[in-house]
Amino acid sequence: MELKWMECRVLSIQSHVVRGYVGNKSATFPLQVLGFEVDSINSVQFSNHTGYAHWKGQVLTAEELNVLYEGIKLNNVNHYDYVLTGYSRDTSFLEMVVDIVQELKKANSKLVYVCDPVMGDHGAMYVPENLLPVYRDKVVPVADILTPNQFEAELLTGRKINTEEDAIEVMDLLHQMGPETVVLTSSNLPSKHGDQFLVALGSQKIGKIHSQKIRMEIPKVDAVFVGTGDLFAAMLLAWTHHHPKDLKTACEKTVSVMHHVIKRTISYANEMAGPGKRPSPAQLELRMVQSKADIENPAIAVEAMVL
Amino acid sequence: MECRVLSIQSHVVRGYVGNKSATFPLQVLGFEVDSINSVQFSNHTGYAHWKGQVLTAEELNVLYEGIKLNNVNHYDYVLTGYSRDTSFLEMVVDIVQELKKANSKLVYVCDPVMGDHGAMYVPENLLPVYRDKVVPVADILTPNQFEAELLTGRKINTEEDAIEVMDLLHQMGPETVVLTSSNLPSKHGDQFLVALGSQKIVRPDGTNSSQKIRMEIPKVDAVFVGTGDLFAAMLLAWTHHHPKDLKTACEKTVSVMHHVIKRTISYANEMAGPGKRPSPAQLELRMVQSKADIENPAIAVEAMVL
Repeated sequence: MELKWMECRVLSIQSHVVRGYVGNKSATFPLQVLGFEVDSINSVQFSNHTGYAHWKGQVLTAEELNVLYEGIKLNNVNHYDYVLTGYSRDTSFLEMVVDIVQELKKANSKLVYVCDPVMGDHGAMYVPENLLPVYRDKVVPVADILTPNQFEAELLTGRKINTEEDAIEVMDLLHQMGPETVVLTSSNLPSKHGDQFLVALGSQKIGKIHSQKIRMEIPKVDAVFVGTGDLFAAMLLAWTHHHPKDLKTACEKTVSVMHHVIKRTISYANEMAGPGKRPSPAQLELRMVQSKADIENPAIAVEAMVL
Repeated sequence: MECRVLSIQSHVVRGYVGNKSATFPLQVLGFEVDSINSVQFSNHTGYAHWKGQVLTAEELNVLYEGIKLNNVNHYDYVLTGYSRDTSFLEMVVDIVQELKKANSKLVYVCDPVMGDHGAMYVPENLLPVYRDKVVPVADILTPNQFEAELLTGRKINTEEDAIEVMDLLHQMGPETVVLTSSNLPSKHGDQFLVALGSQKIVRPDGTNSSQKIRMEIPKVDAVFVGTGDLFAAMLLAWTHHHPKDLKTACEKTVSVMHHVIKRTISYANEMAGPGKRPSPAQLELRMVQSKADIENPAIAVEAMVL
């Protein structure tokens, strides 16, 4: 006799690349491996991510996105438990996403919108500046789980983060703007373990007033990975689903999956590149398929501290 | 296992056809899957409604150019299925030929989707393109009886006819041919359909021969969509692991199909309720739920070597 299966359907609206693991390619397989039904709308179809020497492909317009959603709606299957979004370059596309999320929340009031507000890093925006007001005023208010890095959190709140106290205030401001769960996926805050570690923080509201705050010291890796943020948001979706009131555990599992995938990837990339050579973007593609066992059952590699 | 597949098929937002049907099972089995989506539709065309966009032959070429410019146009397999567009199909052939120049051992798994039960459900002008351009570069072909008859111009009434048709298909290109379904009478009665397969082999003395197999497969009283795409993907996987043993490759492929379909029909009937026919949405393959069967299929159907 088969156990009752988890019925959980995610609508993921992200990029598709023919080769490699970013956007929907990064999010879909791990979620499917964990038993989620993943409906995916591909916001673009590119040959590969834009960190390669060359990339080519086509983008979806806001109207084409609407047409796809209309198809789902006409068949009365516009019922989702989660929506997941990431990198976007287009304000009208983002606004259409917000319309869709609002309609899906009317169809299912318990829907959880996991939003990675991708805008930039290390003090610089890498999307058009006019996306900021759309994220701040329209997207974040309907988000339930938000995964900004420090720079994006600063942009959204208009506040600089220099200390852990600043970060806590910023996360509380973000709660007031919408999401009950906020994870600062990386920051420049000094780690107690030294400069080979970065600090991540998280905050989850418990009731109207209180929140659980956590902190993680995450080993840095000397390489540029693409798609890791997309994997992070997808895995945070999965593990907060299984641990909805335990951000500590959800983050430990999420960060641990990242750790295993990245470790396997850098090992392979260095082997492919050869001694003394920097691996190429192609060689640095996440070893996603090879990490299935770690995705299914992550050994905890990083612990979170409750503040 | 380092094995990279280029799969050029449809994408649906919801459900399991085309690339949605092929990708997860192949990834679960450890294959790297690069996927070019020939269309993006909300869902398959068996629902009451469907909406979306198609990729042109030129856009397909642009995507391939991106891969090529980065020098990563190296694949072990190409996999294709349903297409409605002759120029798109011709572009696929160009790409396959170029990829074979880059890797002479590349295996092209081709499902020549044209129709079933005596009727074509693609434009008729695809037939000459499949027959004269696509099949000659295919290595593994998975036609149903109707498609095999169209490609060879020969009718199949008996097992002997089927064997002749598979040999004709070998002569046209592919070393491995699987007739995924037929109207031939099964020895187990009318609740079973007959599938046949043929793989060219080289005898120890250097002469050519073929291994021919036959399978009696239980019929299911429902219309599934995406099962042919799953079949071709799993045949790719299991012939990869059993390159000279079509019997085992087919047993595993058909067994995966069996488990996925059984789980799907069970769920669909439960969702529909007693006495009601399940809807297309309810009949979507229970793919994600079938991960364990995909990874390690218990043999549910045996093949007989003819």
